[in-house]
Amino acid sequence: MSRIWVVLPLLIVAPALAADDAPLVARVVDAYTDRIPVQTVVPIYPRKARRDRVEGEVHVCFHINRKGRTRRVGVRTSTNRAFERPSIKAVSASTFRPLAEDEPLREIKSCRTFIFSLEPVLD
Amino acid sequence: MLIFVAVQVYADEERDSRTIMGPSNIDLFDGAHALLARDAEKGVQLTLRGLKFAQGHREEKAGHANLCAGFLMLGQAETALLHCDWVIERDPNYWRTYNNRALVYLHLQRFDESDADIKKGQALKPRSEKLKDVKGLYLDAVDPVTENITIDDRRKVPQTPVERPDQ
Repeated sequence: MSRIWVVLPLLIVAPALAADDAPLVARVVDAYTDRIPVQTVVPIYPRKARRDRVEGEVHVCFHINRKGRTRRVGVRTSTNRAFERPSIKAVSASTFRPLAEDEPLREIKSCRTFIFSLEPVLD
Repeated sequence: MLIFVAVQVYADEERDSRTIMGPSNIDLFDGAHALLARDAEKGVQLTLRGLKFAQGHREEKAGHANLCAGFLMLGQAETALLHCDWVIERDPNYWRTYNNRALVYLHLQRFDESDADIKKGQALKPRSEKLKDVKGLYLDAVDPVTENITIDDRRKVPQTPVERPDQ
């Protein structure tokens, strides 16, 4: 026979960090590519990385097809795996100007670097 | 401060001639569930009632730990602190209460004490995600940061070979 005793001590768990409300600063340093970006999606700063004050950098390479969509998105280098998935998602959702029918498709490969950093809030 | 509440379930099994299943203290049990449902007022009320009939140190500890959470949810941090202190005085190795008390101290803007409790909790439970969450809140309070994402489309390697004068 068994006796099962159940007690429920509660644990206060931290709320979703203020990250959701924090202003996100994004800037494009340069756009040195043959294809013209139409929509550049900014990745989301991973919640746990922000919580743990982790910064990092991801270099993503991808192909751009004639329609301006990204294909074969892959991480070339990264300093922390936490940043890889949001970077891939951002590139996958980004678009470039489509080529005209008579326009030759010269270079389809491009790369993009995302630098995730945290800056002190100055009063 | 928004507060989420999580439940830790303990189950002890021992063999004897009877079968008893379920909580031994219904008020404590229901109080915990009310707190989980964010009904802090009902949760505190039931837990206080359950505490009167608590059997043994373990139920008392659970009750006071829940009251610490409940009073903090009600915004009564000073009262919550008394209950967290009660638990820690009797069980200094209970990492969950350090977690809770660190939040209470944050609420009271007693940042050094909050940091000390986070460290004590992490010494007992180094990989606790919950303690990391509280640490994140503490850092947001004392050292706030803003996210910055830079997108750099420059090529890392030149596409055409660089011509050298001696070639």
